Amino acid sequence: MTHFIKAIIVITGIGLALQGCYPQGPEFTDDYDLVLTYVNDDYDFKAGATYALPDKIVKVTGNMMEGDDPVFIPDAAASVILAQISSNMEQLGWQRVAIDDDPDLLLAPASWESTTLYYYYDYWYWWWGGFYPGWGYPPVYASGYSTGTLVMGLIDPSEVGANGNPVLQWTGALNGLLSGEYNERRVNTAIDKAFAQSPYLKTN
Amino acid sequence: MKKLIIITLCFLSTHAFSQSLTALQYSIGFGTGDLGSYISKPSFRGVAIDFRKLVTPSIGVGFELGWHVFYEGQSGETYTRGNLTYSGNQYRYNNQFPALFAADYYLKPGEKINPFAGLGLGVMYSLRDTDMNQYRLTQEAWNFTLRPEIGVLIEANASTSLMISGKYYHGFEAGELPTQSYFALNFGLVFKK
Repeated sequence: MTHFIKAIIVITGIGLALQGCYPQGPEFTDDYDLVLTYVNDDYDFKAGATYALPDKIVKVTGNMMEGDDPVFIPDAAASVILAQISSNMEQLGWQRVAIDDDPDLLLAPASWESTTLYYYYDYWYWWWGGFYPGWGYPPVYASGYSTGTLVMGLIDPSEVGANGNPVLQWTGALNGLLSGEYNERRVNTAIDKAFAQSPYLKTN
Repeated sequence: MKKLIIITLCFLSTHAFSQSLTALQYSIGFGTGDLGSYISKPSFRGVAIDFRKLVTPSIGVGFELGWHVFYEGQSGETYTRGNLTYSGNQYRYNNQFPALFAADYYLKPGEKINPFAGLGLGVMYSLRDTDMNQYRLTQEAWNFTLRPEIGVLIEANASTSLMISGKYYHGFEAGELPTQSYFALNFGLVFKK
C-alpha cells in the first residue's frame, strides 16, 4: 500500500497544481458586458416610419420616485450615445422627427448605476461582543463593484396599457461593469449589438 | 445488480495476490455528446489515479478516481429564448469527477509490453458553471457511469511501467444535466508492488 500512499500524495500535488491553473474566465471589465433585447412579437414595426428621440438621457435615481427633478447624464456622453442610437435607427429605415411631429414611435433612453457592496464581519461578535468589550469592534471588510446600465425603450404613443402606462414594444438593455472612465467604443459597440440582434426593427 | 458487482469485487479482493498496481495519469479529455456541444475544446487539465489488486496475473480489480476540467470562453455570442435575445461573453466550465469500481484484463502479463482492456462502473459528479455578465448558472448531476478502457503497459523496470490508455466515460442522464460523456487519453506511470 506504500505506493498507493505515495500516489495519493503525488495526485494531491497534481490536483493542487491543477487548481492553480484552473481557468479564470473574464480578465477585463468589458468581458462582463451584456446586451439584452426583448421584443413584443405581435407588434408590426414595418407599419411605422418615424420616431422621436430626446436630446438628453435621464439618469434613473431613487429620488425621482419622490418627485425630485430628473437628473441627466453629462451632455458629452449623452450626445455620443444618442448619435449612435440615431445612426442605427436610420440604418433600419427610421426617420427621426421631433416629438410634436406625431412620430410612430418614441425611443426613450435611460441609464442608471448601481453599486453592490459585500460586507464581511466576524459573525460571532453579536454573541460575545457585549460580554467581552475589551475585544474591540468586529472587523468589517468591504468590497464591491459598480455597474452601469443603459436602457432603450421603443414605445408606440398610440398604445396605452391596461394600467394607463405606455407599452414597451422593444427594449434594449446594455449592462456592464463601470471602469472609472467613460469608454465610448465600449458603449457604441454594445448599442450596435442591440440593434444588430433586432433585425425585426427594420421598417420599409 | 450494483450490489452484486460490489460484493463480487470485495470477494475477489480478499482472494487477491499480493501484487498491486497504482497508476498516476495525466489525462487529456475530449467532450462528446452534450458535453462536446457545450465545450468543444479539449481539456488539458485532467488527472486520474487507478488502483488495481491483481486477483490473478491477468485480472486486476480496484477503483479509479479522476478529475477533468473542461473550459471554453465564448466571445460575444448571441443566444435567444423566446422573445429575449442576449449576447456577451460566456465562460463555460465543466468539472467531471469520476469515482468508479474497475476491473482490467491483462493480455500479456509479465511481458515487457502488456496490453489490457478494462471496465469501470460507478458514479461521476458533473458540475457545470456558465458565467455571463455577473451571473453564474450552476448545474450539477451524479451520473451513473460506465467506462470502458483499452491501453498498454510498457515495462520500464521491475517496479515501474509506463502506461498509455484511452477511456470513454459515459455518465447517464441525471440531476440537472443530460448524458455526460467524454473520451480521455491518458499517459501515466504505474507502480507495481
